Amino acid sequence: MRDDTTADSPQGTERYPHWRRTRMAPAIAALLVCAGLVIGIGVLLDRQIEAFSTANSDNLQWTLAQTEVEYLRFRLSLAEAQRDPEPGALARVRRSFDIFYSRLNTLSEAEAFRALRDVPDYEGPRTRVFEFLDGAVPLIDGSDERLRAGLDELKQDALAAQEPLRALTLEGLSAFAEVADDRRTELVRVLGLLGLVLAALFAGLVFLAVFLYRLVNLAEDRERDVTRGAVRTRAIVETSLDGIFVLDGEGMIEEVNMAGRAIFGLGPEEGIGLQITSLFPPEAQEALRDGPFGFLTGDAARSVPPQSRRFESPARDMVGRTFPAEISVGRADTEGAPVHIAYIRDISRRKAAEQGLTEARDRALAGERAKAEFLAVMSHEMRTPLNGLLGSMQLMRDHATTERQSELLDRMQSSGRMLLGLVNDVLDLSKYEAGKMEAERRPLSVERLLDGVVETIAPLAAANGDTLAWEWIGPPHDGCTGDARRLRQVLLNLAGNAVKFTRGGEVTIEVEALGDGDMVEFRVIDTGIGIAEEDVERIFLDFETLDSSYARAAGGTGLGLGIARRLARLMGGDIGAESEPGEGSLFWLRVPLLCGDADAAGEHADAAGPARPASPLDLLLVEDNPINRAVAREMLEADGHKVTEAEDGRAGVHRAATRRFDAILMDVSMPVMDGLEAARVIRDGAGPCRDVPILAVTAHALPEEIAGFHAAGMTDVVNKPIDRDVLARTLAAAIGTGPDVGPAVPRTDRTDPLVDEAHLQSVWTDLPEGAREGLLARAMEEIDATVAAVAASDGPDQAALREDVHRAAGSCATLGLRALHRALADIETALKRGEPLDPLQRAELSTLWAGTSTALARWRDGA
Amino acid sequence: MTPIRLALTLLFAAPAALAQDLPAPDADPLLTVSGEIGCTNDGDSAVFDRAMLESMNPVTIETETIWTDGVQSFTGVPLGEILSAACAEGSAIQATAINDYAVEIPRADWEREGPVVAYLNNGEPMSVRDKGPLWIVYPYDSEPEFQSEVTYSRSIWQLDRIVVTE
Repeated sequence: MRDDTTADSPQGTERYPHWRRTRMAPAIAALLVCAGLVIGIGVLLDRQIEAFSTANSDNLQWTLAQTEVEYLRFRLSLAEAQRDPEPGALARVRRSFDIFYSRLNTLSEAEAFRALRDVPDYEGPRTRVFEFLDGAVPLIDGSDERLRAGLDELKQDALAAQEPLRALTLEGLSAFAEVADDRRTELVRVLGLLGLVLAALFAGLVFLAVFLYRLVNLAEDRERDVTRGAVRTRAIVETSLDGIFVLDGEGMIEEVNMAGRAIFGLGPEEGIGLQITSLFPPEAQEALRDGPFGFLTGDAARSVPPQSRRFESPARDMVGRTFPAEISVGRADTEGAPVHIAYIRDISRRKAAEQGLTEARDRALAGERAKAEFLAVMSHEMRTPLNGLLGSMQLMRDHATTERQSELLDRMQSSGRMLLGLVNDVLDLSKYEAGKMEAERRPLSVERLLDGVVETIAPLAAANGDTLAWEWIGPPHDGCTGDARRLRQVLLNLAGNAVKFTRGGEVTIEVEALGDGDMVEFRVIDTGIGIAEEDVERIFLDFETLDSSYARAAGGTGLGLGIARRLARLMGGDIGAESEPGEGSLFWLRVPLLCGDADAAGEHADAAGPARPASPLDLLLVEDNPINRAVAREMLEADGHKVTEAEDGRAGVHRAATRRFDAILMDVSMPVMDGLEAARVIRDGAGPCRDVPILAVTAHALPEEIAGFHAAGMTDVVNKPIDRDVLARTLAAAIGTGPDVGPAVPRTDRTDPLVDEAHLQSVWTDLPEGAREGLLARAMEEIDATVAAVAASDGPDQAALREDVHRAAGSCATLGLRALHRALADIETALKRGEPLDPLQRAELSTLWAGTSTALARWRDGA
Repeated sequence: MTPIRLALTLLFAAPAALAQDLPAPDADPLLTVSGEIGCTNDGDSAVFDRAMLESMNPVTIETETIWTDGVQSFTGVPLGEILSAACAEGSAIQATAINDYAVEIPRADWEREGPVVAYLNNGEPMSVRDKGPLWIVYPYDSEPEFQSEVTYSRSIWQLDRIVVTE
């Protein structure tokens, strides 16, 4: 029986023979004992057989008795011869003497009697009888006369020999009786021994039989186990959904299971003896030889593969269908040649499922993105009309007639602001989710920031009877760099919440520089209602409000803290809270702010909501694009400002030299003299405007360019398309009467609408009725020409083209032709950077323009 | 019977016919064979003297016997040959000694090599005192089969006459 476990159980090799030794020992001992007994008794028996197989004598008793008979016949013949004078009687005497003599001779010489010669009781009488015979010989052999004369003497002598002869015979008989007795005793002894040995043999046989019976049982058990194991293994192999191939060292298929046949379309008799690589297309074979079938190349290192190695390869079945397969090859070292087991799985369904899942996921992601974008766009779009409403209400307040109306306006405005807040929240959230939000790194002043926050929240705090203040813990730091807008948004949210949930208590904002000033912690501490511990983490989740009715009363989507946390993390920091119900809460915000000694440049105080300058301003608007000029003018004038126009940089410089304006709005890219140059000239000159704020107005500013604006002496940046509020706020900030809003984050939205109709509508409405048709027509002409120029451009006059593109992009931005604006802006960036234009980009531009003009025409028809 | 078989029969029958004329012994006969025999030289019997026996392809065997001391050499005529000379037809013989000891020897014994009617022991003629003059001996040493009581009993000495029985 072979021990199959020896391969993986080293102890098995030890244990099994040991088992065999201990089990076999008694059997072997029994066998040895039996053999010894058999040999011993065999030797004894052989001796007996030897003794009995050949007779060493004839009938001894007969021989002895016959001697006496012949003696008596001799005496009888003597007596007869004395009575009978015939010579025949003498002849008979002689013959009977001879016969008697020969008999005694036999008793002397025969083998059986030789042993008796050492017995004195035998040898003595025999000698005496022989003496008689020898003495008689001369007489017998002599002449008839002498014999006849000696008959009487002979008779006397013969009579004297009777006694020794009798003694001789009796002694012989008794000796032979003893011998016979000894032999019988010996025989009995041997037979007895034989009986014992037979008994022992029988016992041994019984023992062996029992032993063999147990061995047979054991063997049967083993065989059953082996059979069961084999059946089970076969069932496992056959039930397997993977193809299982048993290969010899040359890769020939020795065995294959049903699944293997099914996968490759092999018939019941096919496959055996086939080369495994023939199941794969030729182009896959090299990789397979390098991979799972490494043993085919005879590379010793590869022919001992790891227990399982997954490998994917195309495979080909008998009808030529190629499908993806997963292969793993293992090696089994059986006696003799190694056997390789290849598992081959048809993974075409899995692949298909994977692909399906990938597609589904991509679709879901795309859907999600589309939703987020839709939300972002919608929120964004809602803001414009909302701003319109709020602005109008503001304007209406200027003309408010009755107290009742003023009250209603307050309410409307409050609702509108709330609505705007919600929309902004959603917009922030969706922007964040769309991954479009980036933290800015700009100089900021912590002091001004916190002053602004306190100022903004103060009215609400007063309404709730709360005191509100902020303070430095530890040495004050300033001249920091960070994202002021986001920071303010978070702090406003935290402080707003604190005030909302505190009645007649204290709200304190602590600020502390941590470590060596890289990290700043803001703590908003209130003595309000507090939050249960288990709720502390929950409040940072989206749409979580602990008490929805109260929250609703206080206003909010429940997004506030969720957004705050996102913003905090966006800035590289974090936010958290500690609270004790009934005692108050502590919200902390930890953000990295690079604070140094440098004076905060370009930092701005902040305030929420549009803050209009208290008094109308006298402004200079330098803008080459008439449409943009018209829109900006309209906006500014709507806010009550006085606007003076200039159509390019030089004209601007010229106008600035005439009188002092409160501020200058300067387009950056302009023909004749660009905005940077103009700003520099104004700053460097001695004109009345040399120190008034100059705001750069640009459609898209690269971060490195913004630094250039500042270097040229420009105060701030206003992004196109111009948002009236942002413009107003920036303006206010620039002349020191209002908060600053940083430049809007450049749009990176790739799914811009062709025509931003809402925007266009609002611009359209803002424009004077008589002029707008003409402006639109001119803009379209201009764009059309630019698009054509771009399409045709291949060469040297890139600067001219850049100006055209810039102007066209500006027009598009103003009109809300988003997609086109985006495309033109990209081209402008490329031109600015001196990069060659992507032909695809140019082709796209024409397509976009075609689509945009159609959409624009449709809008016109509808308007 | 074919002519050839007839011829063969006649050819081989010739010595048998001659045996009818067994020579008469010149000296005293040592052995008398009677009974179922086809060839005679003395009435119903075939008698043999020493000279006749000596002329019948004698053989010499060397063997020990249980009655003598040491290896003995016996010279004599195989029993079968003597019986052939007498054209014995029976299935057994009754061999009888001078003292009338008798024993039956079956045909199987003389048809094989073995029993010899010895007339010389160690080159010497045997006297009656030395179990002579004729002694049927078997080559006891050559076959264990001959070392048996039956063979010993058939080893008749002082042989005198043989009667071939049915």
